[in-house]
Amino acid sequence: MSFDILLPGITLIPILGVVILLLWQRATKNQAAVIGILSEGFALFIPILLLPSIRNKGEIIFSLRWIPNMSISFSLALNWLSLVFLLTEVLVTLAAMIYSLGEETGEKNSNYYYALLLLFSLGMSGTTLANDVFLFYVFWELMLIASVLLILLWGHGEIRFKVALKYFIITHLGSLMVLVCLVTLYINFGTANLTELTQQASSLAQNVQVFLTLFFIIGFSVKMAIFPLHIWLPDAHTVAPMPVTIILAAAMLSMGTYGILRFPFTLFPVETLQNFAIWMMIAGLISEVYGALMALAEKDVKRIIAYSSVSQMGYILFGLGTLTASGMQGSVMHVVYHAIVKALLFMVVGIVISLARERDIEKISGLGKKFPALCVCAAIGVLGISGMPPLGIFNSEWMIFAGGFESNISTALTVITLIGSILTVIYALRFFGSIFFGETKPEGLAIKSPRALIIPTIAVTAFLVIEGLMPGPLMAWTIKGLAGIFGGVN
Amino acid sequence: MSDKSLMVIPLGILIIGAFLLYVVSRTLNLKNRIESLLTALILVGSSIVLLVLHQRLPVLAADPNSYFGTESFGGIVYKPDAYGVFILIIAIFISTLITIFSGEYLSKDPRYLVFYPLILMTLAGMMGIFLSKNLFNLFLLTELTTIAASALIAFRFQRDISIKAGFKYLIMSSIGTMMMLLGIYFVYRSTGDMHLYQPLPLIDTFTRIGAACFLLGFSLKAGVVPLHTWVPDVYGHAPSSVSGLLAGVLSKSMLFIMPVICLRLGLTSRELGVYLILFGCLNMLVGAVRMLRQSLLRRFLSFSSIGQTGYLMFGLGMGFYYGLDQAFSAGLFLFLVIAGMKSLAFLCVGIFEYYYGTQDIILLTGISKKLPFPAVCFSIALAGLAGIPLLAGFNGKWMIFSTAITAGDRLSIIGLVIFVLSSVISLGGYLPMIVKIFDTTTDNLRAPVFLSSKKRVSNWLLIPVSILSFLVLIIGVYPTPWINWIEQVINWMVI
Repeated sequence: MSFDILLPGITLIPILGVVILLLWQRATKNQAAVIGILSEGFALFIPILLLPSIRNKGEIIFSLRWIPNMSISFSLALNWLSLVFLLTEVLVTLAAMIYSLGEETGEKNSNYYYALLLLFSLGMSGTTLANDVFLFYVFWELMLIASVLLILLWGHGEIRFKVALKYFIITHLGSLMVLVCLVTLYINFGTANLTELTQQASSLAQNVQVFLTLFFIIGFSVKMAIFPLHIWLPDAHTVAPMPVTIILAAAMLSMGTYGILRFPFTLFPVETLQNFAIWMMIAGLISEVYGALMALAEKDVKRIIAYSSVSQMGYILFGLGTLTASGMQGSVMHVVYHAIVKALLFMVVGIVISLARERDIEKISGLGKKFPALCVCAAIGVLGISGMPPLGIFNSEWMIFAGGFESNISTALTVITLIGSILTVIYALRFFGSIFFGETKPEGLAIKSPRALIIPTIAVTAFLVIEGLMPGPLMAWTIKGLAGIFGGVN
Repeated sequence: MSDKSLMVIPLGILIIGAFLLYVVSRTLNLKNRIESLLTALILVGSSIVLLVLHQRLPVLAADPNSYFGTESFGGIVYKPDAYGVFILIIAIFISTLITIFSGEYLSKDPRYLVFYPLILMTLAGMMGIFLSKNLFNLFLLTELTTIAASALIAFRFQRDISIKAGFKYLIMSSIGTMMMLLGIYFVYRSTGDMHLYQPLPLIDTFTRIGAACFLLGFSLKAGVVPLHTWVPDVYGHAPSSVSGLLAGVLSKSMLFIMPVICLRLGLTSRELGVYLILFGCLNMLVGAVRMLRQSLLRRFLSFSSIGQTGYLMFGLGMGFYYGLDQAFSAGLFLFLVIAGMKSLAFLCVGIFEYYYGTQDIILLTGISKKLPFPAVCFSIALAGLAGIPLLAGFNGKWMIFSTAITAGDRLSIIGLVIFVLSSVISLGGYLPMIVKIFDTTTDNLRAPVFLSSKKRVSNWLLIPVSILSFLVLIIGVYPTPWINWIEQVINWMVI
């Protein structure tokens, strides 16, 4: 028996969960969490069930007529590329949902809180699965709206209104650029179906291809928070409640990468993209250095890790810009590893803030002696983000830089990026050193670390170590996933 | 019933209904609710005939000799166009809901007796404008609409500001109708004829000047920038139900009658297209920018309405300039969804105002705590107007986008850029509004106390609002049947 029919379940079961949560007004936080985690669990379970089928066919497609007179359908496709992003996103959401249980966030109106988390995740899984440009945009915006609502309703402080507005408007501007491209594709070929578009897109006039690629890359770079389009990120990450920050940083940023891979990279031949290769690499480099420097300059612990995202996304764009197999594979793997490490670091920051009730890094120190478990997790996270072998990011950075040297576009740029990565080590060690070493500060430090928070943190740490030691499956999946890039030429 | 008489029966029902309603309710001293139900009944009757007419349209549109009236005797001729019937059906549907809404909304007004006949008169005038195929007749019916509407705007005459708003509308609209009269003079001077149901015997400079006069007149009534100055004052101070009717249906529909007349009188469709696109862009920008930082909800919505007029003009303009059918579908679809969303928004403001006596968002911050359902409906309307996916507005946006990209020349791309720009700017207006509605951090609502003796919001107010919200949602999620309908209408259209 084939499980292919279950594919739409990845989007429909979370919708069911949302409906239940909306109706169940009196649900306590635990009850709401159970519903949320269960329905999100299906989104994890179904792709795993579908694995053998993907192995056989390469891609599973589900399609349903929706607006026939505009040739728009409810069409989903699961292939190796979307599988990697889908699993990353679902795992991060699950971790954040479990982490929420130990947090104060969502004590009131928990049913709405978990419903919105589910919608947020639904937006992301829909984005990865959508095989129709209209549907893609619908999910893309759903992701944005759900996250804005989460920041608005559960964010910290009065400033959240302004921050949410800024976040919405800037990322929406990026979305509109993407929308222009999607509609252009749809108009030129009279279909919204991505499989058909992929087959035909290379027949577009060269200047249209260049224009679309430019708009796609800029539009998706807003979501990736590439300098100078990153201005929404630090505020949004700081103001959002910790579980939402985890999803934003670890999962949502990677949707921009997915968009770039799914649209310009899949649709157009490599010749078109070569016009942009060097610019992507330069933008990646600037983002990497700028993010790292800002992380060094910041005092707020949450902002440090937020800026580190800008820096890490720089690596990813750099890897994509190399246009080589290893560079792109490195980028996709970096997305996955970055997701795990970033989730871990934000979890650690969350615990530190809840222990110290303080966010200024200069006022917190010496937690290492009192909280050894937390210290170990943080150490692994920090080593992870600095690219220490055998932890994952080492593998992906290796491949990204290898791609840079292979590509022959500019060896100098690659060398500078490589040297620039030292900045990551500096801010990571500063972060770790000043929080966990030295004399214990502040005075009113909590005595015990909250168990509900530390357990998921340890689990993520373990996952990071395991992933780093066994990169085999991920590597195999990403290679297969990238087989369709540039119209399947590579 | 013959096809020919079918063409005027809906109009007849409204006009006769208006007089009868007034006489009956005056003599029997009917209660507000009963009168509103009777009005709704008249509207439903009229719309049933319209629907029958709609079914017969393919036959009627094909036959040039099927019209109602006579050529002699000044030539009073009625003949429906396919899209005219479409617009009228929407208009009557929305007005029915607004009438039911008024059944509670006007309960504190002493003069409710005249309100409903005036609504019927306004609609009758509007219907006449769409059906009439004679310039002088058109002029008379436009005047009828103007006068009835200004009486409606000044309905709460106890307040100076309402009188001022009504007066402003009367003056501005009269200037519009005077322009039309001037246009008629020019046309009559050249041709000695005022018929519209068949092509004019000759087209010269004077008929084209006449066309320009009509263009100006209708632009003024539609609130096209820079003739939009009356819009914020009028929508801002009229009762919410009247503003909903004017902003949602009446003024927007003028954009659809304008091309028919102007093209007949000798403007080319390229000229008309350029006019609509350029001034549409201006409308979008002015609407979006002026919408920011408004605190009075109705004033805010009226600037958003100016922006929406721009979207409609952009869509229609592309239709005329490039001759694209899909642009007309986009235009009609936008008309449908804007009518729904705009009237929904105004009705929700009406509910806030009815229970808290204010339309100022600063006082209404956190209203969602007290009136959760209307607050949700209001945000559905605003989010729809902002073009958020899965709500009706987004599909319209998608259609405009695809038309502009299909056309793909410099003019349409400039228009598209302005469209994108204005939709981003207007987000800065819609979003803070939604946020403030749901901002429950301030503990107590600053608005004056709950004005009603009953604890619950009246069903008379809730039912129309929930029907409209449901429609906005359903057209967003499943637009297929509506698009089918519009494509059918476009197929029947003969310009």
